[in-house]
This record gives sequence, C-alpha cells and structure tokens, in this order.
Amino acid sequence: MIDPLVINRQPAAGRLAFVIDHVARSEPSRPAVVGSAGSPSRTVVSYASLADLVARCAAALAEAKPPGVVVRATTPEAIIAAAAASGREGVSVALLSEDALDLVGELRDWAVVNDSLDVLTPTRQRAVGGHDEPPHVVVATSGTAGPPKLVYRTWDAVLAAARLSEQWFGLRWLLAYDATRWAGIQVWSQSLLTAGCLVAPASRDPDTVARALGEEHVSILPSTPTLLRRLVSFADHGLLKAAAVERITLGGEVADGPLLRQAKAAFPNARLSHVYATTELGEVFRVSDGEPGFPAAWMNRELPGGVRLSTRRDGELIVQLSRDSADVPTGDIVEQRGERYEFTGRRSDVIVVGGAKVFPRRVEETMRGVMGVAEARVFGYPSAITGELVAAEIVLTDPLPEGATPESVRAAAFGACRDALEPHSVPRILDIVRQIAVTTAGKTPRRKAPV
Amino acid sequence: MSDAFVEAVLAAIATVLRDTGRSGTHAVPTSLLADDLALDSLDLAQTIVLLERSLGVDPFRSAGPVTKPIRTVADLAAVYAEAVRGFRE
Repeated sequence: MIDPLVINRQPAAGRLAFVIDHVARSEPSRPAVVGSAGSPSRTVVSYASLADLVARCAAALAEAKPPGVVVRATTPEAIIAAAAASGREGVSVALLSEDALDLVGELRDWAVVNDSLDVLTPTRQRAVGGHDEPPHVVVATSGTAGPPKLVYRTWDAVLAAARLSEQWFGLRWLLAYDATRWAGIQVWSQSLLTAGCLVAPASRDPDTVARALGEEHVSILPSTPTLLRRLVSFADHGLLKAAAVERITLGGEVADGPLLRQAKAAFPNARLSHVYATTELGEVFRVSDGEPGFPAAWMNRELPGGVRLSTRRDGELIVQLSRDSADVPTGDIVEQRGERYEFTGRRSDVIVVGGAKVFPRRVEETMRGVMGVAEARVFGYPSAITGELVAAEIVLTDPLPEGATPESVRAAAFGACRDALEPHSVPRILDIVRQIAVTTAGKTPRRKAPV
Repeated sequence: MSDAFVEAVLAAIATVLRDTGRSGTHAVPTSLLADDLALDSLDLAQTIVLLERSLGVDPFRSAGPVTKPIRTVADLAAVYAEAVRGFRE
C-alpha cells in the first residue's frame, strides 16, 4: 500500500496519475478495471496498461495544449485515463454523459478526447493563457433539481471525500453509476487512489450485475436505492447468494426502511450506510446505523467537520457546509419521526392535484407493501382539470402469489392506497409494466409521463 | 353522433368506478355525470386521461375552449366526437 501522506502531498490534480504510475511500477499486472463484467465479453485492464493509456493521453495533451478537454469516451478505462492525464497536465476536463452533451456548446473552444484517447482540437482554437488557476473537473448535475447544468469543481473538491486509510486499500468496487456522473467519479477515483479494482458490469440488468458481484468478488457496492431495489427484487437469488459484498453505500436518493431491510436480507454480511450528497455540495453526511433518515440530534448543531443542518418552515433541509459558508437549500423535505428525521421526498417531486400536495414516495411505499407488487413508480400526469393526477407504474412479482392474477394485484394496490392515503393521493392511472424507468443517474424519474 | 364515442366514454367511466371501488354503479348514455354517477373533479380528470389514451385526443387541453354544458355521458361523448372530427379536418 502507498502511504496516504505521500498521496496527499501530491497536488490534487496529479494525484490519480501519480497513484496509477506507482501501482503500475510495483504491481504491473494488478487489475485496475474490469469491463463488461458479468458477461462473456469481460475485459481486464491492468495498472500497467492504464498507466500507458494515461501517458499516451498526457503526451497528446502536452502537444495540443488545449484550454480544456471534453471527454467523449465511453469505456471506463478511457474516461479514467483522460481525466487522470488532464489532471497531470493541468488541463481542465469535462466529463459529460450522453444526456448532457447539449451543454457542450459552453465549452466549444475545448479539445475532445475519444475512446482511442486521440486529442482532437477545434479548428478555431483560442489563444492559450498561462495556467494561473488550477484545472477544474466539469460535470453536469443530474437534473433532479432543475434542468442539467455544468458544475466546475477543483480536483481538491473531487477527491475530498476519498478515504485513504489502510482498511480501504486493494478493495473491489462495483461501478453501478455512469463513470461521467459525480457519483461515478467518486467511485472510480476512490478505487484507483487505493490501488483497488473497479468492476463495471456489462449492463444494469439485475442478473448481469449480480453475476458481476459474485464472479469478480466485489466487496463494495455503491448504489442508488432505485438500482439496489431492482437488484435485490429481480436478480436470481442463487447469484446474489454467491456474492460476498461487505459494504453497501447508498446515495443519490432516499433510502427508506423497507429497502434497508430488504438489502440486509439479501446481503446479510454487508454493512449498510447511506450518504447524503448533492452534485453542488459534495458529501454532506453519512449514516451507518442501517436505519432510514438521520438522528434528530443532528439538527441545528455543528456536526464534526463543521456541517450544520436546519430546516425551513415547509420542512426543506438546509445545509451550511461551514461557519463561513452560505445556507444552501437542498430541495429535500424532511420530517421528524421520533428520534429520527426522515426524508419524505423532494420539493420538485411533489405532485399537485387540485391544489393538494402528494409526495410520490409515500404512495410508492404503500404500493410496494402489497403482495404481488415488486416495484412501483409514482409520478405526475398532466391534467386540464386538476393540474396533475397521480399516475403509477407497478412491476409484478414473478411468480405472482398463489391464486393472484395481475388484475387482483392491481385491485389490491388500489385498495391499499384507498385505505392508507388521502383521496387525492390515490393513483388514478395505474399501469402494470415489465420494468420501471430509471434515469441515467440511476434514479426514479418523477415527471415524465410514460411514452 | 357516432356510438363509438359513447362506448368509449362508458368504458372509461366503468374503469373509474371500478378503480375507486364503486363497481355497483352502472352508467348509461343519459346518466348525469355529477348527480347520477357522483363523479367528482378527480373522477372526471381520470376519465379524460383514459379517453386521451383510447381516442388519442384531449379536447380540454388541445382544442379550443369547450363551451357547451357537459352534464350527461352523451354530452361528454359529443365533445370527443367534435374534437376528433376537428382533428381529422
């Protein structure tokens, strides 16, 4: 292992390339990235190969000297090599997923790097000034809190949450996220800074992910609640049993009690924690007791690290990262239930039916409690009469409970909602689908009507 | 007016009544939406979404303002017949 002090002594921008080189010298054949895991076309990239990719891209960047570089690569190793090389060369790098490419106009003077790590410079290149400011990492927000926009972060901020103590070295991480998303960048940078192995499954298909977990001996599973719920509900149980996951880190969405219990049952030996982070704020806090929400005692006082949590009158969670920084409204609504604060939903997720508010998560939880319902998604459907209507999609369990039919489960889901919810919260449109929609960020979409 | 629109409206209302646990109520073309069938604004909003799915139009959103009073099942069907005709012309 490398001394964390030695790593931290490197300028943040060059830290990834430094560690990749270091491991490539001491253990050249050590696997850095397993691609298409869980499928027959599985590939392995060693630290030596990855270091070569970084060196090749860095040389091309040193020659082209672009003001910045937009990564258009699709394989995790090319994305990582391009980012590490840009950091080493002091060039800002933009990591944009497919659905954020229309934001690229803002960066039209920047060069483009593709999967073969060629650096393509734009024809009308701007004169390059000196590197008087540190290079940035540019990512797009997931768009959960409004239209996606570009966010500029320093490498110090990108790597701030990485844990470098001995227990984190040499682990095997699942990359369930898009490698160009904030959450994905956190996973691969953590894995590489600690000489770990990044396992990228061939697809998000539950059986493929479960097979990747077992075959590649993945020990750390970072995921959104939506993706984890899909995995534990639909993956083959034999495949899940073969996995030896030691730690599950949930983030990006609220992890509710039923999901935490379901995950504990599927991975009895795993420690569960959920991270509260946003693209704008980075990681704010982490809860590791396996219970939903966070302790009520954390509200309105300074937490270790300087974070302060408070709420607005409507329950929206406000975060102050340090004493000198501004209050940041998060868009997340919390509610005190006994000794905990629990998340009831996002402000923007609220469906307004004839002036009354509906929190989709509560409706989803009610329907998921019905025998025969494996998964549920609730969203607003535009209506000329009431503004919006509550619409839902459910996925049935396979097999159905004995004696049940799709129609009887549908009727039971309506009945459960009528019993538990106010009349305006009961879904008015309920479709049985084979799979619920998931955004590229691995979250449950709240607005789009089914296509 | 084509019977197909009356049939579509009756089918949509039957779904609304079933989904809301009122399967005992049955609609006919002359049924009064509010008085006979006790359809409230949420029930009507659902009916309109169901009809948008089966007929492909939402006259309350896409076309001009609906001006005729809509009191019965047949009145509602007439609005859709009109909207679909306008759509085709």
